[in-house]
This record gives sequence, C-alpha cells and structure tokens, in this order.
Amino acid sequence: MTIVEVQSGKVIPIEILLLENDDYKSISESRYYFDWKKEKKQEVYKLVINGQTDILGLISIERIPSEWRIHIRLLTVSKENSGKGKIFENIVGNLMTHVAKLAVMEFAEMACISLKSKSAIEQHYIKKYNMSITGMTLSLEVPEILNLIKQYDHD
Amino acid sequence: MTKKKKIIIDNLEYGVDSRYATAKEKDHDSIALMKARLEKMNNLSAEQILQAKLMQLKLKMESYLKEPVYDNQNHFAEFLKTYIDSIYSKRSEFAKDINVTPVFLSKVINSHREPKEEFILKLMIHSEKAFKKVGKFHNTTWYQVYYQEKICDTISNQSKWRPKIEKHVKLSHFK
Repeated sequence: MTIVEVQSGKVIPIEILLLENDDYKSISESRYYFDWKKEKKQEVYKLVINGQTDILGLISIERIPSEWRIHIRLLTVSKENSGKGKIFENIVGNLMTHVAKLAVMEFAEMACISLKSKSAIEQHYIKKYNMSITGMTLSLEVPEILNLIKQYDHD
Repeated sequence: MTKKKKIIIDNLEYGVDSRYATAKEKDHDSIALMKARLEKMNNLSAEQILQAKLMQLKLKMESYLKEPVYDNQNHFAEFLKTYIDSIYSKRSEFAKDINVTPVFLSKVINSHREPKEEFILKLMIHSEKAFKKVGKFHNTTWYQVYYQEKICDTISNQSKWRPKIEKHVKLSHFK
C-alpha cells in the first residue's frame, strides 16, 4: 500500500499496524483531532511510512461478526495531512482499505464496512469511496468493497 | 462560497467520529442497514460471489505469508481446497483442467502426498487466469505458501527430528 507526497508526486510505501500501548504517549488531541485515549480498549490501527514511527493516520474499529460487518468508530489523519496544504494524499483511503481487507478476509461475499453518516461528510464518502447510504449509515459491500481494495492495495 | 464552507470542504478527510452514543442508536441503525444489505446480497451475481471468495483467499494467503503460523495444519492443502471449491462444483473438473488424475489431486488435498513441482506450476498458471478480475495475485504465492509451510513444519517439529540428526553433525574446528 502506498501514499503520495502531494508536492513531489512521489509514491511512498506504507504499512498499517496495530496501535501499541506506548503509542498513546505520542498521540495528542491537537495533532490527531480526537481524544484517542478513549479508544484504548478498542482495535486501533496506525498508518506509518515503512520503517518509520511517525503516525500519519489512525482508525479504530468494532467487529460485528453477527452482521458480517466491521464498523469504523473513529478515523483521523494527522493535522499536517488534512486540508488544502496536506503533505500526503490517500491516508484515509488506505485506512479504509485496510478495514475493507479485514472484512473480506473474515466475511467474503457478505463483507461490509460502515460509518455513521453525518451530513457534512456524507456526499464526500459516497463520491470518493462509492459508499451507499441506508438511513443514518454509510456502508460499503460487495462489489464496491472489492473495487476499493483493488484501487488501494498494490502489494 | 463562504470562506468557512470552503475550509470545511478542504478538511473533509481530517476525520470522522462514527461512534454510537447509545446501544439503542446502534441497534436501530443495524436493523435498517441489515435489511438493505440482505436485499443487495440476494442480488449478487455468481461472478461477484466468486470474486469475493477469491479475494478472501488471496488476502488469507498473503496474511499467512506475512505472519506464518507454526501449527500442525497443512495450510497449503487448506488453501488449495478453498481455491478449488470456490471455482468448481466437482474437484475432478479441476483435476481435468490441469491434467492430473483425481486420485493424485485427492492425495495432495488430503496431505497424503507432496505436490510435484509440475503441479504447482500448473496451479500458478491456473491462478493467473482465475485471479485476473480479482486483483494482483503474485505468481509466486503458491510456491511461497508451500515452502513457508515446510519451514514452519521443520521448526515446530524440531523435537522429533533433532535428536536423530544432531548425532550426525559436529563442528570439529571449534572446541
């Protein structure tokens, strides 16, 4: 999986790893927008450039096997990677793809990832990631979930 | 467009707080979502289901290669079984397609005999075709799984082979 340096267009390999307890020391609300310490009991992943330790993005999930679904609880990029002047592109896409891969690995054709819909982000996630909306939930299933994996997974 | 609105659009991907406030809210959304999903699932084509199953297999094989499992299971045979059963309704059809006897295939699947190199080469070519629509499937994957398993077996079964082999190994240059 890779991200792109906006200014140079350089493609950089990344890895997505389980967040470790020690990582919480370096995750401040000012750089990662939310109080991630509240997610300590959850399954949280970090996105880092291969061989580096600086965290560029975070995602917290809840597996719901009875519904063949993984719900994204919290998702963020580091402050310098959001907005117009962001350094790297595709952090969110890669984090979502990682969760999509976990869902397909576990549930195959029944796999689904979901997000709670909010009017501000709704259209963006529908347009960019091809998510569907049902009531208050944005979701991605087969076949769209497979397309997301094909788009972002270059391993 | 106001400056404030533009900043919001530029910042759409800073993050999402998608946590449910209450269990009631979660249940309510789950029911509605499941209803819509079941309808969508019922309309999936056989081709889409096959692609999902093959993607699942590809991801599981990649995961096994990334984090090998040291157990007594035959992962190569298990992956092979899943591969064949995802595509064919009868294993004998696969045997015919790669020009091996059903008996030989059955022995490989049930770990009663080792796959020959030619068998893995045929499997490699067959997979190239099968995974074409699914995504990049490295043609070394079956080989890697096969040898990864050999390594894991050797390491996890040291107590069985080491005492016998060790007797025949010395390093006479060192005291």
